Amino acid sequence: MSLGIYLAGPFGQSRELYRIRNEAKRGRGSAQAVDQRIKTDTNLVLQKQKEAGVSFLCDPLFSQYYLFQPFVEHIHNVSAGSQENWFNNNVFFRKPQIPASAYRNTSLVTSSSFTRNYHHGKSDVAILPSPFTLLMLSDCSGFGNREEAIIKIAWLLRNEATLLVQEGYSRIHYDEPALAYRQSLASLKPTDLDLLKEGLEICGQIPGATTILHTYFGDIGPLVADLVHLPVDGIGIDCTETRIDDLIAHSFADKELVLGLVDARSTALEDPVELAATSHAVEQRCQPKALYLTPNTGTEYRGFTHGLRKLELLAEAKRCYGGQ
Amino acid sequence: MVVNSLFLTYEVGSLPKLNARMKAFQKKPLSPEDEEELQTVSARAGLSPQDILELLRRPGKTGRRLTAEEKTAVINFNALLYVRLQEACCLDFVYDGEARRSEMYRHVAKDIAGFEDLPEMIRSRGPDSWRSSVCVAEPKLKEDSLAGLILDEFSQAQTSATQPLKVPLDDPYMIAVMSDNRYFLEKLRSVHVGEPKKLRYAAKRELVLALARNVIRPQVEALVASGAAWIQLDAPAATLDLEHIPILVEGLNECVAGTSGVKFSVHFCYPRRVSLIDKSGYELLFPHVLNLDPKIDHFSLELANADTYALDLAVFRQYADQRRFEIGVGVVDITLEKQLKGETETPEIVRRRIAQAVSVLGDEKLVYVAPDCGLRQLSLERAVRLYDVLVEGTELARRG
Repeated sequence: MSLGIYLAGPFGQSRELYRIRNEAKRGRGSAQAVDQRIKTDTNLVLQKQKEAGVSFLCDPLFSQYYLFQPFVEHIHNVSAGSQENWFNNNVFFRKPQIPASAYRNTSLVTSSSFTRNYHHGKSDVAILPSPFTLLMLSDCSGFGNREEAIIKIAWLLRNEATLLVQEGYSRIHYDEPALAYRQSLASLKPTDLDLLKEGLEICGQIPGATTILHTYFGDIGPLVADLVHLPVDGIGIDCTETRIDDLIAHSFADKELVLGLVDARSTALEDPVELAATSHAVEQRCQPKALYLTPNTGTEYRGFTHGLRKLELLAEAKRCYGGQ
Repeated sequence: MVVNSLFLTYEVGSLPKLNARMKAFQKKPLSPEDEEELQTVSARAGLSPQDILELLRRPGKTGRRLTAEEKTAVINFNALLYVRLQEACCLDFVYDGEARRSEMYRHVAKDIAGFEDLPEMIRSRGPDSWRSSVCVAEPKLKEDSLAGLILDEFSQAQTSATQPLKVPLDDPYMIAVMSDNRYFLEKLRSVHVGEPKKLRYAAKRELVLALARNVIRPQVEALVASGAAWIQLDAPAATLDLEHIPILVEGLNECVAGTSGVKFSVHFCYPRRVSLIDKSGYELLFPHVLNLDPKIDHFSLELANADTYALDLAVFRQYADQRRFEIGVGVVDITLEKQLKGETETPEIVRRRIAQAVSVLGDEKLVYVAPDCGLRQLSLERAVRLYDVLVEGTELARRG
């Protein structure tokens, strides 16, 4: 089996994008200049991905500040609440406030403005929040209960994913940090997996796309046995926090496996030979339908140069894997 | 001199740099708006900006850079301006709006031996960014850095101010969280093989304690020796790692160890209200903060952002029989989004928020009043408006 590689999340901004963005923020520059620079940098990062031999192109998401932003800004009746930390990162998001009424109007989810956030260049991978993470990090107090809320959220995501496939995307990543994080803090509730499953039964299978539940920011080891039965096409594992021994005890025969072995939040560069050897061992034991090596999350946390280095590292690991 | 006895007011830390200063340093011509900003704020602060304005116009007109001495003169003026501005706005405790610092983290990180800069700025919230560093060796203050880091700044503020000063310093935990801890992770990797969670905890603790001893405490000691009466340690990242809060406390205690005759406070903000565990917000700090050195008796809290005062403050009442902290109540939201929307609190909202805090804490003597956080991301005009609203609202609260 071959080893695929790709990036799976936001990329760090360049010096020039920061400078132009800061000038615009201070009233000393224009929004048009920011947009132009985003297009330039996006094309550059996509080109670098092609040169690295990625299996799928991933938009660096320079115009999006946080995972939920498209929902907050473009879905009717959803609004931005208080500013909150994005897990254990010095990065912030706005807590979505999702009222039950937001979902009574079926036309709002087809807004083309939503997809514009992704379209500075041609990409294959679309990053969406998993229904469980969106539920857990939002204010959904207007719903009767969480089951009701996740069903509505999952339909919303399904429609968006379908729209993205029509726009040319072939791979949908449902980002799922909340589950791994709760698992790591021993705060998982018995109903958490049920809620996730309920959501994925609605949005987990999208005609024309491969769907990945991408877990990160925590040790998901104890839940791998459950993850392999979820109704998605593949699972992403944050291997910087999950022990490989906990992963290789399970068969992924029906699933693609996305190995987040490269630490996106550390500037230390992993050994590509070791990455290849670990990937090989996982492939042998888990027997996935397809195997991909990625950073554990987006590389935005350490900047543009760092992202390029990690991309080169993925390419080197792929070469080492092929040579084994 | 403090004339009020109740609901004393202060700024948390930073103000935006003057646009005219930034443009002149980049050799750009000043716009009429830049000049008006300088003149308006100077008038409010009771200073004449004419000489400095002439200086600031020159690079844009001539294409010639300001000399180092001229830049120093501009920075000195900017710092003096902000001290006087805060006094003119009737804040009870003042400082210089961190006008001499590039940015809170970077200001210190650049003087740490053992830290190397990352090439680009990292996005944090919206378009806001910071310059992160990588710890590659045991962190220590660079030789002879104390003057440029804090002592000159404090000395100038002492000279400029008639009101008492509150000096903001970074806490070591924040520096650790905002840095890539490569050195201690590598150093301890062989001790915690196959245990990523234990490794991260141990490595962060080592970094925080090294920063406390080698970087922050020398500044604290120098400030105390120079006559500082109130030092604020900024800990905005306090609740980022829910299992690491004991490290935060240990680091803060290490910063103040061996000092006396000075008041210490800690600024906390954005406290993981969406925590994904059973506790959230400032609850997450407890019971750990009960172990803080008794000299640390005051917390400055961001509260307006969420506007859930009763919920956020309840935990301080809950633990009041064990330990009572003064609370600097954040009464105005400082986020950029509010500025973009043109939304500002009214004095009546501020009054009501103070009243809520008093009601929950049960003792009006514990309540101070402040913005949610530093104001550097906002326009200067908005920052001044927030001061005015804060002071007017506090005056309403004092009248009862």
